[in-house]
Amino acid sequence: ATPLSCSASPMRGPLLAAAGGAMPGAGGALARTIRAKLTAALQPTYLEVRDDSSRHGGPPGAETHFGVLVVSGRFAGLPLLQRHRLVHEALRAELAGPLHALQVTARTPEQWQSDPRVPPAPPCLGGSKRDP
Amino acid sequence: MRAAVRAGWRIGAAAALRGRAGRPLSQAAGEGGGAESGGGGGSGSREAVERLVREHPVVVFMKGSPAQPLCGFSNAVVQILRLHGVEDYRAHDVLQDPDLRQGIKNYSNWPTIPQVYLNGEFVGGCDILLQMHQNGDLVEELKKLGIRSALLDAEKDQEKK
Repeated sequence: ATPLSCSASPMRGPLLAAAGGAMPGAGGALARTIRAKLTAALQPTYLEVRDDSSRHGGPPGAETHFGVLVVSGRFAGLPLLQRHRLVHEALRAELAGPLHALQVTARTPEQWQSDPRVPPAPPCLGGSKRDP
Repeated sequence: MRAAVRAGWRIGAAAALRGRAGRPLSQAAGEGGGAESGGGGGSGSREAVERLVREHPVVVFMKGSPAQPLCGFSNAVVQILRLHGVEDYRAHDVLQDPDLRQGIKNYSNWPTIPQVYLNGEFVGGCDILLQMHQNGDLVEELKKLGIRSALLDAEKDQEKK
């Protein structure tokens, strides 16, 4: 059975451009776009962008499946659905295009401080191979 | 969800159900991205999706089926529901119906699959359901639907938070 509990380990997969400055050469064009748009829209205090595409049958660097961790004061007082909608809105063009799947963790700075765990991406079961 | 938003949604949904016969689809509220299905009965039309989400207290649009999910995110939704003892729900495999797949994205204004509806209301995808499971909200939402989560029985002797 798929484990559902959070682990305390860092996010799996290539961790791209953690807060404090991008790693040189890290991430493809879409990863950089995601980072830039989320930064502009939500002014995060902390942001992680993770390319999970290789875990879903794509070649490394396919940039189709991403996970984002967004920590922002903009989320204060907003229910989860609204928080996720803000993230989607920032990435509307990408979601209508090459960004096929997006895992979202959206926390306020206070929540992030009290709970720095991030759920791991669920394992692929091949569904995206049936996509057009 | 804020009560005002919820009330507004219910008024809108009720009005849609009472909709005048013969009201052309073209008068439906426009949505960005993805054309409405042509004709009055396409499986991806607002009316068709509305019927599906109101069919049962728990409705899931997913890839594959509960018996055989074909996507890790869809599987996570199935597993969470199973943990709560919810086995009786409506699941729709969007891989079988491209019109439906686009139609539910238009309906909920949500770009990804899976999508979970409780009592006809869109609650979110796999990430949100997982959080609701972890913070106890899912038990509460199921209770409002008259569904007793299996986890309550498991925790009968423990203090609830």
